[in-house]
Amino acid sequence: MQIISNSKVKEKLYIEKLENGLTVMIMPKKDIQKKYVIFATNYGSIDNKFIAPGETEVTQVPEGIAHYLEHKMFEQENGENSLDVLTKLGVEANAYTTTNHTAYLFECTDNFYPALDELMDYVQHPYFTDENVEKEKGIISQEIKMYDDYPEWVVYMNAIRSMYEKNPIKIDIAGTVESISKINKEILYKCYNTFYNLSNMVMCVVGDFVPEELLEQIKKRLLENKKPQGEIKRIIEKENTKINRKEITTKMEVSMPLFVIGIKDINLSDIEDKDNMVKKHIAIEILLNMLIGKSSNSYKNLYEQGIIMSEPYLEYEFEKTYAHVLITGQSKNPQKVLEAICNQIDEYRNNGLDEKHFKRIKNMIYGGYIKEYNDVSAIARMFISDYFKGINSFAYLENFNQVNKKYCENILKEVFNKENMVISIVNGK
Amino acid sequence: MSYKVEEIKNSVKLHCIKTDKFKTNLISVFLSVPLDRKTITYNAIIPAVLRRGTKNLNSQEKISIELENMYGATFDCGVEKIGDNQILKFYLELINDEFIENNDNTLNRGINLLLDIIFNPLVENNQFKKEYVETEKDNIKQIIEAKIDNKDRYAFDRCIEEMYKNKVYGLYKYGYVEDLNKINEQNLYEYYKKLINIAKIDIFVSGNINQTQALNYIKYNENIQKLSPRIDIHIVNAEKTLESDNNKPKVVTEKMDVTQGKLVIGTEVNLNEKDSKYKISLYNVILGESATSKLFQNVREKASLAYTARSNYIKPKNNIYIRCGIEIQNFEKAVNIIYEQLEAMKNGEFTEEDIENAKKYIISGLKITKEEQDSELTYYFGQELSDKFTTFEEYEEKINKITREDIKKVAQNIKVNTIYFLRN
Repeated sequence: MQIISNSKVKEKLYIEKLENGLTVMIMPKKDIQKKYVIFATNYGSIDNKFIAPGETEVTQVPEGIAHYLEHKMFEQENGENSLDVLTKLGVEANAYTTTNHTAYLFECTDNFYPALDELMDYVQHPYFTDENVEKEKGIISQEIKMYDDYPEWVVYMNAIRSMYEKNPIKIDIAGTVESISKINKEILYKCYNTFYNLSNMVMCVVGDFVPEELLEQIKKRLLENKKPQGEIKRIIEKENTKINRKEITTKMEVSMPLFVIGIKDINLSDIEDKDNMVKKHIAIEILLNMLIGKSSNSYKNLYEQGIIMSEPYLEYEFEKTYAHVLITGQSKNPQKVLEAICNQIDEYRNNGLDEKHFKRIKNMIYGGYIKEYNDVSAIARMFISDYFKGINSFAYLENFNQVNKKYCENILKEVFNKENMVISIVNGK
Repeated sequence: MSYKVEEIKNSVKLHCIKTDKFKTNLISVFLSVPLDRKTITYNAIIPAVLRRGTKNLNSQEKISIELENMYGATFDCGVEKIGDNQILKFYLELINDEFIENNDNTLNRGINLLLDIIFNPLVENNQFKKEYVETEKDNIKQIIEAKIDNKDRYAFDRCIEEMYKNKVYGLYKYGYVEDLNKINEQNLYEYYKKLINIAKIDIFVSGNINQTQALNYIKYNENIQKLSPRIDIHIVNAEKTLESDNNKPKVVTEKMDVTQGKLVIGTEVNLNEKDSKYKISLYNVILGESATSKLFQNVREKASLAYTARSNYIKPKNNIYIRCGIEIQNFEKAVNIIYEQLEAMKNGEFTEEDIENAKKYIISGLKITKEEQDSELTYYFGQELSDKFTTFEEYEEKINKITREDIKKVAQNIKVNTIYFLRN
């Protein structure tokens, strides 16, 4: 196994790519009782149009199918539901679907191997019938409606749709009540067979293990006759270099408007250069905190004027086909927040960043990265999510020192452009 | 792991958890007082005003800069309702010195800062700073009004209010807008001084630390030295709900602009024998907490009525709340299925395997608690508020001893008090 150590956080990652194509990542955590495993495939809500390996025809599937498939994977031919089996073992099992991956997981202290048996068995054995597929429609419809009642979800999706016209990130992960009504067992099998080949999958385990022994245990539980398949051609329409619309406002029953300010990062030319993306990500996190973080001038002014009550949530989301900055919060007057951020961007563009402020925020971001290694579940989720971007999470610590003030100033000019900014608002009724 | 407690003055306790499982140190301070309609809004606003400035760092900005300088230490505060008590809580989390290149004893720096925020606030002319109090009054007003934003949570809070009408537990933890007019920088400061003198105080430090050093450090902190001993006023045995006259559950329906109906059924368990809280916990897992539970299986998996269908047990009050999100027109159907599950539990329609699984579920949750810094700390604080301190080992033992008869007894003593439905 390949071993990557990080001296800053004092952890080691063991990686192996098996012959059947599966990548296994293991982080041993001595004397920690909690164990966490994620078995995931590079298949998410944006993979709606593709050419399956060995085929020439394009397959287009209903919106929300990756998520639907996630729900149905738990059904077993013997009539059991794997979620029940895992729960009975006393482990906490779950699954989730994102834009680019689907993950099956459990956390436990005891019964790790029996639970691993079940996890690896059910993910490798789909069992769909007309009846069990139909049954899920009511459940998922309620899940969709639950999200429709979350103002924070509505304001987020509207921001995404304002930035993107073509990229399927603009569709809801769970689809719509209408789109899922078209799903049947044949389409589910087609998607399963295309995307659940081990060469498209990864497993990450964090806990008190001897990595080599654990790897042998994992190998034993893999289906023998699985061979790596050919390439899946994912058809993702090329996105415009412009935003879709500047502003979107909608109404819901909320006490104070919610907002998301989005900045579409249109410069994806270096998205394949992973170290560069990591550095850019670090720089953007520093910049966001300098712009509107707790100790910033703009936050102080907005807070004192009663325009903002708490620090906005700041992030840079990116994947192979999209990248954007998101500033999420609640305010009596979201337009004033936008104005304050724009003014601060201008000031930094013209006068540069303050050295002391920069250093302080950089230290703060560093502390945040260390904290991510506090919990085995947070570690596994982070490594999985970065893996699908082609990044090893340690890269954030390794590249950290190379991010200097000058570099951040360049990133500010490159990414924080007003013409790429959108604002989504949910007002009260 | 080792856990040490020292009562340095009557009802002022230091708790020290030494553990090497985490990369962070966590410091928490809890001030506990009985819930009271007259003081609830004062208590809600105090943490918000305190975080605005100390005598040494007189603005939020300066506090934020200090936190950033400690490699992104995070500070948080708020209020909580636990049983019939209102808890003012303060947290500071910082990374352990071993992960900082030029380490400079950030733990002591963090302890000083947190204790300063709570016990050494910015005071001008024997009152809080007017500007801070005014902004925080606006903020609390907003937080109170934001109760409607999360509809699931709103429905849950409303069900509790209906169950505990005219009882302290029915109070909203952030208080009431109409109180805010009466609150000013002067009377709030007067109240604060009183609070600091009467509240039960618990200070926790958790992390890879030297326990004796950390304890001494807090003990000899100037702010702590100034505290006087006090009588423990926190409430251990909470009040029950008001029984309805005709013994029938109260049905409350409320309208709002929602896509999905939110159903909350509030129940009360009248069982006060030894270890009944453990028995009720186990009952609740079988009824609705785990994925194999009756509610999840029947409301969601069999009837496809809901995505969420579960119950949770509020220990200090002996209430179980059943919650699900459903189509509006399925209200009766869902209520019927839920009642059938309560009946089935009463009739003992659960297997030995169900009991074993539920035990495993609770014990596994208990083990996970020890693996999460804030969960472990919260566990110990929960013990501090309860009538009897129970270790993790004793907890596990009590769960293992529970029999089928115990669970049936819980089932026979559970009563639906209120059915609350939020619809369009």
